[in-house]
Amino acid sequence: MTGPAARIGATPIIRVEHLTKRYSKAPKPAVDDINFDVMPGELFAFLGPNGAGKTTTISILTTTLAKTSGTVTIAGRDLDRDQTGVRGEIGIIFQNASLDQHLSGEENIRLHVALYGIHGYRPFYRLMPAEYRTRIERLAAVVGLEDALSKPVSTYSGGMKRKLEIVRSLMHRPRILFLDEPTSGLDPVSRRDLWAYLRDVRREDSTTIFLTTHYLEEAEEADSVCVIDHGRIAMLGTPDEIKGRLLDRSILLDADDREGLLTELRGLGLEPAVDPGGLVRVGYEDRTAQSIIARIRTPLSVLRVHEPSLEEAYVELLGTTAGEAEEIQEAAA
Amino acid sequence: MTALPTAAGVATRPATRIDSRVGRELNAMVAIAWREVLRAVKSKVSLAFTVIFPVIFMGILGGSISQNLGGALPYAYLPFMLIGMIANTLYQGTITGVTNLVEERENDFTAELFVAPISRYAVLLGKTIGAAIASLISLVGILAMVVVMSIPLDLGDLLRVLALSPVLALAGGSLGVLFVGFVRDPRVAGIGVALLVFPQMFLAGALIPINASNGILGLLAKLMPMTYSIDLARNIFYAGKPEYATAVLHPMWLDLGVTAALFALFTIVGTYFFVRSDRNR
Repeated sequence: MTGPAARIGATPIIRVEHLTKRYSKAPKPAVDDINFDVMPGELFAFLGPNGAGKTTTISILTTTLAKTSGTVTIAGRDLDRDQTGVRGEIGIIFQNASLDQHLSGEENIRLHVALYGIHGYRPFYRLMPAEYRTRIERLAAVVGLEDALSKPVSTYSGGMKRKLEIVRSLMHRPRILFLDEPTSGLDPVSRRDLWAYLRDVRREDSTTIFLTTHYLEEAEEADSVCVIDHGRIAMLGTPDEIKGRLLDRSILLDADDREGLLTELRGLGLEPAVDPGGLVRVGYEDRTAQSIIARIRTPLSVLRVHEPSLEEAYVELLGTTAGEAEEIQEAAA
Repeated sequence: MTALPTAAGVATRPATRIDSRVGRELNAMVAIAWREVLRAVKSKVSLAFTVIFPVIFMGILGGSISQNLGGALPYAYLPFMLIGMIANTLYQGTITGVTNLVEERENDFTAELFVAPISRYAVLLGKTIGAAIASLISLVGILAMVVVMSIPLDLGDLLRVLALSPVLALAGGSLGVLFVGFVRDPRVAGIGVALLVFPQMFLAGALIPINASNGILGLLAKLMPMTYSIDLARNIFYAGKPEYATAVLHPMWLDLGVTAALFALFTIVGTYFFVRSDRNR
């Protein structure tokens, strides 16, 4: 069980309290006194525009950057006192590929399992334990990389590198998987397959996923969404809570007799408005769309039920500039 | 929709195979070191330099010096140069191997190393040992030049110098560690490494005798860490030979002492600042 219900009485697997990071010579903090909890098994989406503090936060949580102040506990381990222990509990897929281009895909993974102490290092693949060979072959088959493992990473496409990083990050079976824009550069089919596999991993192993992404539809299925802006938490909640707080649910209608429709809707105690698209919009916050539609007698030429998306809520929340909105839409396209 | 194999059975969490902290650190060091060797073997540029470098510096430069000035020396120039170039190659090759950590920071590969549950010390030591082993590969071109240039040499003398190669390579590696402790920008690193490598090759006497260097050049020769490593190699090579007094600069104990002291100093200071600067931005 994940999501809000899992929060009741459970101990967070990630706890961030009053976390602040100020880079040397920077006029203001990149991350400014933020607090949040991530529960075990959760898919936690950490969203925000470029420069909001996402990468700084994820760098601190993954021990590659020192914080200025605050407390971070990961899997019960204090980040200040037990960094090595924290690193043993997490897996990371970085925003930028962190692969050695000179080595083959398999050599990159063999290095990884040695760094994590999973298997003793052997200079050749055939000398590695059967357990390692079985696992790597199975994971590679999942993402469709089985024929490319022995080839140099320099010959891989961007999507193949991403898949290799995914295989690598799962080799040591982390309790928490940090995904920093994991699907950027992947084609739609690869993105879908990756998420299908990640769902599988979550279901089978209760792996907690900490996700940053610009593809907001990926965050729709998150258990919790945290939006950061200018280094501060702008909103935290489930996707539905965030949408509910920021956006109205509405029905879009039209009729050949639009005036008659508007009069009828007002007569039903509703407050119709003609939106910029030329359709009649009626909000239904506390009711169901069906309860309104069933009472309308005017013949309709258009009927659409508008369920707000997380992306709309995100844009509304941040009050984005046209440029930022464009960037989000481009990423979503 | 592409059918995906299930993750069931794949995702069960096993106990970590290597239980002891020391065992994990050693295992990681071996893996990091072997990676350096693999990179050296697989890099076409690196392999090309293994041949090009000795041809230019030993064949062309050293050959010209030998033919035109070698007769004025109280010892055979070509063996003198050969020992200098062996020491230089091991020393400088390890510096270059270690300092590419700066470039790897830029292309994010170090992120993989630094989020692993091992100490930064294991990363640096593994890198240094690997670069030292990889630098041995560079000796192939130099040894080929022994045959090509018909350099008169006793095999036993050569083997004694090669036995010293771990000391020479690690001495260079420590200077590389000091460098990465202070330099983060890959552009600065590119220039900095060139400044570490080429002036030392001439000032430390790898190619050209520096017995008579004085003034600023004499002072710089004394300040170059590689001077003592090269002289240590020549101490080993010329031990017991009549040319010893003219070909060697310092007594062996001095070369060994300075090399060991600089190794300890550079490694400790460089590692401290590398670990500190990496997280404290």
